[in-house]
Amino acid sequence: MTSHKELQLVYGLAIILLVVGVLSYAAFPAKAPERPVRLMFKCVAGKILFDHKTHTVESGYGISCSSCHHNLEEGETNPQACGECHEPESQEEDMLSRSDAFHKQCISCHKESEAGPEKCESCHVM
Amino acid sequence: MVDNNIADNNTVNTNKFIVSHAPFWHDGSKISLRNYNMALAALPAILFGIYYYGMQAVGVLSLSISTAIIWEFIFCRITKRSNTIGDGNAAIIGMLLGMLLPATAPWWFVITGTFVAIIIGKQIFGGIGANPFNPVAVAIAILMLSWGNVFDFNEALINFDFDFAMVYPLAALKHFGVSAVDSFSMGNLLMGKQSGGIGSTFGLGLIAGGIYLIIRGIIRWEISISFLAGIIITSLIFNITDPARYAGPVIHLFAGYTLIGAFFLATEDSSSPVNFIPMLIYGAGAGFLTVLIRNIGFYVDGVIFAILIMNLINPLIDKIRPKAIGKVVENA
Repeated sequence: MTSHKELQLVYGLAIILLVVGVLSYAAFPAKAPERPVRLMFKCVAGKILFDHKTHTVESGYGISCSSCHHNLEEGETNPQACGECHEPESQEEDMLSRSDAFHKQCISCHKESEAGPEKCESCHVM
Repeated sequence: MVDNNIADNNTVNTNKFIVSHAPFWHDGSKISLRNYNMALAALPAILFGIYYYGMQAVGVLSLSISTAIIWEFIFCRITKRSNTIGDGNAAIIGMLLGMLLPATAPWWFVITGTFVAIIIGKQIFGGIGANPFNPVAVAIAILMLSWGNVFDFNEALINFDFDFAMVYPLAALKHFGVSAVDSFSMGNLLMGKQSGGIGSTFGLGLIAGGIYLIIRGIIRWEISISFLAGIIITSLIFNITDPARYAGPVIHLFAGYTLIGAFFLATEDSSSPVNFIPMLIYGAGAGFLTVLIRNIGFYVDGVIFAILIMNLINPLIDKIRPKAIGKVVENA
């Protein structure tokens, strides 16, 4: 048995929290930051968590935007996402597919700087 | 009979309970009071989650608590049962569910979760005290199996940037081995510097809440301690057999759902045993299964499934009980 007071408390709680919950979802939708923090690349070989921020910030590896976003023009600060041109199944002959582009970019840079993973299972979550 | 006992000094038990006759005096404990204490105990971990994940965490928790209450209210109305939301149990189920979810859980996900917890986990069995499984664990298991991506904390919390590594420790351990979790120190894990559910990362807060509940007699220490002991011993055995493949007890104890499981999930009243030895078996079994699932199973975290499996065998192990006093053995 619950008392009238307890029941009122729970009614109050339900109404207030419903309003707070709906407002929180409506007013603070999850939005991606302008410059990605981390990225999750999805593919059949297993997802890859890429720490974009650590690769770009000065305290991290300090790699400039144009090192990877190769079509970035002088003074341009808003690079395209890789997948916009490098599609998963590229039909064009002179355009690398998404997986080829990533493999080439990541592994060659890791080899060059002798740092970072090169083997499949070091990036792909299998 | 009584005279004989008093005459025989060897059988006199000085700790005998003396039951007086009616009227009895109620000590004032109520289900609602127990649930208020549960909420109080969970508060540090919840506030910590809100501090880090902000309004998104507030949204998930608020929606979870309110919709859990609303589902129970609706179900009681439809089935013409007396309205039980006043006991606070629905609110606690909503609260615990919210604590286990990532801060980015979509609204429909939260509402589905509370529906499963309240209706399928609890009400269809007859309401509070009649549920064979922990309602929160049932809901999380079904959500995990249906929308696994939402529970991939690496993917869910991708846009949160804190001063610590936001790689989900158990996922790193599972996919990249022991060397990947070397950087997680015990202190950092205890202080909640790890990725995970809204209210499941702040180890110190959960332990403090758990100790409070144990002292107040709301949860049983036997279950919590044996659960943690089960995890320590099993992970230690794995670790000793192959230290390169299996991590030691620290990561298993302080990452994932371990602490919230030990103090808030495994101890749920109606799905856990009441006798001493069964409680130890139940807790230790859940700890053992958790590490087994984490180390050689498919899932990243095994707490939820381990608790559900132990819930399943709870009626069986609870049969290990003291002999009833005064029972006459026929044909003896």
